[in-house]
Amino acid sequence: MSDSKNLDAKTHGVLYIGMDLGTSRTSVSASNGVRETVFSVVGYPKDVVSQKLLKKDVLYGKEALDKRLSLRMYKPLEKGVLKYTGEAKDPEAKANLKAAQDLIGEAIRLARPRADELVYCVIGAPAEASVRNREAIIEAAKAHVDAVMLCSEPFSVAYGMDMLEDVLVVDIGAGTTDLCRMHGTMPEEADQVMFDVAGDAVDAELARRIEQSCPGAQFTTQMVKEIKERWGFVGDAPEKCLVDLPVDGKPTQFDITDQIRAACSVLIDPICKGITKLIATFDPEFQARLKNRVLLAGGGSMVRGLDSAIEKAMRERLGGGKVVRIEEPIYGGANGALKIAHDMPAEYWEQLK
Amino acid sequence: MGGLKDSLRDAIRQLAFRTSLDRLRKQGVKQVNVLGLDRIIALIDAAVHTSLKSRLVDADREVVADATKAEFLRLLRSNEDLQREKSEIEKVRERTQEELDALRRELAQQQSALRVRLERDEPGAAARWQGEDAAIARKVAAVVQDLAAAGEAPVVAAALEARVVELVMDVVAGERRAGESVRKQLADRDVAMMQQRIEKLSQALALTEHKLQQVSAQRSLDAGISSIYREVQGLAASDTRVEAKKGIMAAILAENLRLQKRGTA
Repeated sequence: MSDSKNLDAKTHGVLYIGMDLGTSRTSVSASNGVRETVFSVVGYPKDVVSQKLLKKDVLYGKEALDKRLSLRMYKPLEKGVLKYTGEAKDPEAKANLKAAQDLIGEAIRLARPRADELVYCVIGAPAEASVRNREAIIEAAKAHVDAVMLCSEPFSVAYGMDMLEDVLVVDIGAGTTDLCRMHGTMPEEADQVMFDVAGDAVDAELARRIEQSCPGAQFTTQMVKEIKERWGFVGDAPEKCLVDLPVDGKPTQFDITDQIRAACSVLIDPICKGITKLIATFDPEFQARLKNRVLLAGGGSMVRGLDSAIEKAMRERLGGGKVVRIEEPIYGGANGALKIAHDMPAEYWEQLK
Repeated sequence: MGGLKDSLRDAIRQLAFRTSLDRLRKQGVKQVNVLGLDRIIALIDAAVHTSLKSRLVDADREVVADATKAEFLRLLRSNEDLQREKSEIEKVRERTQEELDALRRELAQQQSALRVRLERDEPGAAARWQGEDAAIARKVAAVVQDLAAAGEAPVVAAALEARVVELVMDVVAGERRAGESVRKQLADRDVAMMQQRIEKLSQALALTEHKLQQVSAQRSLDAGISSIYREVQGLAASDTRVEAKKGIMAAILAENLRLQKRGTA
């Protein structure tokens, strides 16, 4: 079919959505200009009393976190993939699948589609998610959209920036860090590396260090996550990290500058190992170009100084390299997925309806 | 095609508004041009076909025309559903608003009744009793005067009158106290009941107000935002990597078809 026909067919009446379904956050970019993000948590009232009090059947994101004491909380994604795999028969796994379906539905609603428009959605999934897990994501999404496609998350970041050749994308999420080298075609298995040292690992390390060095301090995982998002850095400290944590109910100030630096630094070594692996196995003629085009994306890339720290480590291991942080780490994946949805020929979408 | 014509006819009827010749005359209209429903439908049909004819070859034209008609019917149906949903929500809102107004009126009435009831109790009783006392005294005096006229000494009659009045007042006061106590009990019960009803009304009012807020905040009222993409879809022929991107799109589709077929198998 000709291009001109594609242009005609893809006119008004379809809302295109790019979605980054992440362990920590789910972000959407839509063809109506809406961009939204929601924490990937879903809460259901624990009983009739809390349901009457909350006046809702399901709560999402920050609202769910704020009311978590009255809710059964679900974080349906773990290490970048759905906890439900289709094999599990236990009620908890089924509840996680339901939570994932509801979360995707909420993300679609946040994009504010018109009731009379079809919704075509591209969802970014971790590079090495299993086939069964991909199927589960598709099944969860089908309830809310007219057609859905999955693509590799780091690939969608690169596509969104129109950097398809000789680029190495490092997408640091909460559950996983995905690396993907682009060489003008669809990346294959050998072009991708995934490991689970990511945002959640930094939180766990920071919690461990605070527990050791701040006697009596009380905190939750959510508090640690907020501290990391506010102060996270590696290398030279831009300022002292002074935080108030309760000790026996009394807010007490602690200087946790060193603990934050050390916790965030856990990202550097595995990322450098991944970069080294992907560069070392690339065509020797293009290795120099690849190592000078490393893109940092995902929420984890917002750790201050991470780009410089990776460059420093690359100088030691690879003799040099250039790392660039993308401008919008939270929406990079969703923007790329939206661009794929936009560029996908209409007849391809028809086949998936 | 019959379905399309009927739907078009219904749509035009829904979009049209009714007015009288008198009203038009008042607006200064002297003549009107009449265009029949069938003519409008034929014009739309012809416009669609002319547009398609200028852009497509014969084979594609029928397919696209059918697809367009189907799409039109789908949009029309979805628009009708939306309208219905919107009008249902608006009806609920109106009903809730009316309910709220009725509750407010009822509450005001109950409060006013309670106020009247509380105000009228005390001051009336004293005046009423004073009048009763004077009437009893007059009646006793008349009896004593009749006795005196019958031949009793006036001094004895006066003492007798005083004694009788004292006795009567004593009995009457006792009766009044008992009656007052019963009346107060009844009044207290009425007031308590009214207060309970007012409390209940206030609760219902708060609940209805909340319901109104919920209805107003319902997302269904949000019509959403249309896609801003119009005619710039698909890979632009001017894209420097158009061929490579076509290959990538095909690969993504193939992978997704494989996944989704596997899922349905």
